[in-house]
Amino acid sequence: MNPQYASLLIALPLFSAFLVPLIKRAGKKVILPYLTLVTLIQTGIAAWAFKEVYTTGKPIIVLAGGFQPPVGINLYIGHFAALFVLIIAVVSFFMTVFSMKAIDVEPIDKYAMLFLLLMLGATGMIATGDIFNLFVFMEITAISAYALTGYNKTGEASEAAMKYIILGGIGSSFFLVGVALLYGSLGTLNLAQIAMLASKMNPTVAQAALALLVFGLAVEAELFPLNAWAPDAYQASPHPVTVMFSAFVVKAGLYAMVRIVYLFKDTPAFMGILNLILILGTLTVVIGELSALRQTNVKRMLAYSSIAQIGLIAVGFGVATPQAVDAAVFHMVNHAIVKALMFLAVGYVAITLGCPCIESFKGLGKKMPLTAFAITVGAISIVGIPLFNIFWSKFRLLLAALQVGKTGIVALILGASLVEAVYYFRLIHAMWFEESKDEKVEENLAFSIIMLLLVALIIVIGVYPEPVWNLVQKAATDLYNVANYIKNVPLLGVSP
Amino acid sequence: MVKRALAIIIILITGYWLANALAQVPFGADKMLVGKYYLENVKEQTGAVNAVTAVVVNYRGFDTLGEVTVLFIAATGVAALLWRKKRERTAKSEGSVVLQTGSRLLLPFIMLFGAYIFIHGHLTPGGGFPGGATIATAFLMLYLAFREYEIPHNVFEPLEGLAGMSYVIVGLIGLAIGGYFLFDWIWQTWQLGHANIGRLFSAGFIPIIYTLIGLKVGTELTGIVDNMVKEPKEGGQ
Repeated sequence: MNPQYASLLIALPLFSAFLVPLIKRAGKKVILPYLTLVTLIQTGIAAWAFKEVYTTGKPIIVLAGGFQPPVGINLYIGHFAALFVLIIAVVSFFMTVFSMKAIDVEPIDKYAMLFLLLMLGATGMIATGDIFNLFVFMEITAISAYALTGYNKTGEASEAAMKYIILGGIGSSFFLVGVALLYGSLGTLNLAQIAMLASKMNPTVAQAALALLVFGLAVEAELFPLNAWAPDAYQASPHPVTVMFSAFVVKAGLYAMVRIVYLFKDTPAFMGILNLILILGTLTVVIGELSALRQTNVKRMLAYSSIAQIGLIAVGFGVATPQAVDAAVFHMVNHAIVKALMFLAVGYVAITLGCPCIESFKGLGKKMPLTAFAITVGAISIVGIPLFNIFWSKFRLLLAALQVGKTGIVALILGASLVEAVYYFRLIHAMWFEESKDEKVEENLAFSIIMLLLVALIIVIGVYPEPVWNLVQKAATDLYNVANYIKNVPLLGVSP
Repeated sequence: MVKRALAIIIILITGYWLANALAQVPFGADKMLVGKYYLENVKEQTGAVNAVTAVVVNYRGFDTLGEVTVLFIAATGVAALLWRKKRERTAKSEGSVVLQTGSRLLLPFIMLFGAYIFIHGHLTPGGGFPGGATIATAFLMLYLAFREYEIPHNVFEPLEGLAGMSYVIVGLIGLAIGGYFLFDWIWQTWQLGHANIGRLFSAGFIPIIYTLIGLKVGTELTGIVDNMVKEPKEGGQ
């Protein structure tokens, strides 16, 4: 098959989103099943691209319009992008199923469009090979995320969306100025060519441009101090959207940041920017964990926990040795699985019992045993108990930090796990050892299957981490082996 | 007070640091790495006399598709957030006679001008976005002039979706014929209009795409105006 068909990953969600106004005429009931169908096809295409990339070992380069980069725009679906595009599609598919029960606010057709475009934006951010195209996809992701955050139309949701829109706007302008600086001094927007020419750039300009890009992307990547919007948005947005935020939207932002920064690997500006990422990551972990400790709303607590985990991933990228990047990417995958499970389960509890506050969770083991079991597995995994998936990524991160002698990071990881243990075990205690007078609830079959699938994945990776670890190592190599990245993009012979 | 002073100091430091970096970007120096390529090959590869249009629709067509989507999301987002079961116009009075007559009289001409801008995108400055915005102003004037006026929603909404879909379809035809998404099959495979460079029927799929973008932007911006001008009805949720 022509590898150019991978452009369907972008074309399909777009086309389907534009089709929704016509689908609506067939009746409101059709919209959500239609959404499920589209994400299912998207999953199929993503699986094909994944298979293609991992069997041939070569990235798929999509040339838009048939123009060679840097004259045209290219997509770069390498090992990393193939893996994450698949994760995005699968999580979106699960969330369309969840939406059927979780979304009861009108207008559902607009929800479907925004949902598809959020998926499209994240896919594009991860797949693109052009820095301005990255900006366009970031805008697509961000603007659909603003609208989805406020979708419930409560005061709380509007406030969260407003916060998000202001911070996001500031972030976008930072990013744009950074791109302008890069273009002004290199005359190209193609990521591979930027990497090729990076050493010719004036170090002061490079540092300023990178710092601007990092701060611009820090809004989407939820790094302190630009993540003030995140807990509110996570709490107020519809439950399936929260899952998408945590499972892949934030990761797309983090990936974009790391990809751009790593392009400057061989320049003097690199070390300074790495330190910046390390500091931001560390602060994110500390503040995220300490804030999670005080929450009584479980969804908000998970939001803070998610932010803290993202901080850990950023710290891994900040260390920037191959081992640390491997570990960070591994943590990204594991976190996507676990947080998808947790937010799904908590959202399900919230729509069944009324609110995601800690009271709903008292005696959950009796009311909704399967959901309670899923949350328990997820919680134990996040804390980092052996035989569950996150143990391995935290452990690898620890080893990588030890290798370069950064004991501070070791202490950070251990400390974070300790704090996580406190608030997650509190939740587990509430679920299993506290009494509630509510009746047992019949659990939805579809959600139970999805939750059990994710639980199985957590345990399988926990017991046999090797296969996923191998995949992840390839994906991480794609990130830090910049020379290979340049070589893989068929650049046209325009050079200064 | 201390907080404000601190903020000002931080802004000054950041500003100084940015200005310092900006000063080292050679201003006006020839950084035509890709620009030169565009200028040298634009006529032959795309058939457009207006090189900017060729860059927007052909070379960086993927970005344009993205920008169209951004506007679509903005319109959808506004509609989603302002959605109420029943909404109505709340203007207190009709527009003056001058406004009413003027908006009626000018409506066809404004639309014609908007259409002119986007159809001639490959020849003259402008294109789908300004053309569509011009068309939307015609409807904005109607909203200002008449208290009861409302656009025909059952035409505008499907038209908006249809225009966007057609854009993607044009791209997909390129994928089927030329092997690349958004490939200009009319110019490069069929070689239509090669003798016509500088006239209306040239430049491959640029006029088609710009017409679609014009329709889309026009209907979208009008939709945003419609959403913002109406308020929830009393009692309706």
